[in-house]
Amino acid sequence: MPLIRRDDNKTAAPREPVADAAALTAALGDPDPDRRWRAARSLGSDAGAVPALAAALAAEQLPQVREAIMTALLRIGDAGAVAALLPSLRAQDAALRASAIEALQAMPEATLPFMTALFADADSDVRILATELVRNMPAETATPLLCDLLAHEPHPNVCAAAIDVLAEVGTPAAIPALQACASRFAEVSFLRFVVAVAIDQISGAEH
Amino acid sequence: MTSNSEAGAAAAPRRILVVDDSSLVRLYYRAALEKAGFAVDQAINGIEAMEKCLVERFDLVIVDVNMPRMDGLSFLRALRGSAPEIASLPALMISTEAGQQDRDDARAAGANFYLVKPVSEADLLSHVALLAGAP
Repeated sequence: MPLIRRDDNKTAAPREPVADAAALTAALGDPDPDRRWRAARSLGSDAGAVPALAAALAAEQLPQVREAIMTALLRIGDAGAVAALLPSLRAQDAALRASAIEALQAMPEATLPFMTALFADADSDVRILATELVRNMPAETATPLLCDLLAHEPHPNVCAAAIDVLAEVGTPAAIPALQACASRFAEVSFLRFVVAVAIDQISGAEH
Repeated sequence: MTSNSEAGAAAAPRRILVVDDSSLVRLYYRAALEKAGFAVDQAINGIEAMEKCLVERFDLVIVDVNMPRMDGLSFLRALRGSAPEIASLPALMISTEAGQQDRDDARAAGANFYLVKPVSEADLLSHVALLAGAP
């Protein structure tokens, strides 16, 4: 339900510290949700506000205000903003997880340095969601990242998620890794099926 | 349980709506279900699924949890709060999330059954048969 408009970046204000940053940061904890929403919207040009936005995101329960906080982090778009969004991948709330993915997908360059750690996360659900973050990266970046994951990943659902992204953005360089994955999980009919389709799609995209 | 094919079109196959953001997962379910004789339509998120449910009749919806724009739990809550003719549509939720809280959340949202991926063709068809009957 919460939507982050990707064109928000285009209309973002110049990245200068806002004049009343301290007041806006304090307003992130205001009992009035409208004040919290307005404060979050106003802090999207202030990289210094990332710690406050991260704390507010962890505490916020209203989807509209969470969306405004995530949009502010997306506008800031640096490594700190990525680090502030990543805990939401572990949220029990599926809508919050989806919003975090959408925001992180919109900042692929800032997210890239976090991918190795995300693909090594102990939680397979986090690794599954992390594969989605590669979807908006260039094929030359996405393909080796996902092939490395496929080579070592023990969980079939993580492999399936990686294969789904490879089918869309992967290059033919992924085909050997896909074939090896299908062999490694030969007893999982679903994986055999999706590998075959992914190889067809990648091969077809080449012609 | 909704049963649209009882009223008239005795030969019409049962219709199943598959809701998943993964095109590969949709293809897998579609191949298995059509081979078994079901008619299959698909949606890529909860919003598209809701739009289809409001204008078309289905005998079962198979829905993922993690999807962009509207997740599967939000979709089921919206479906169960809809007009009576679609609110009782049987729902099979299939997700990678394997925790007890995930199962409880699915039941609370209105899922009739909850399966954890990867699902074999036999498991899929047996649960579909329980909820939608024979094709």
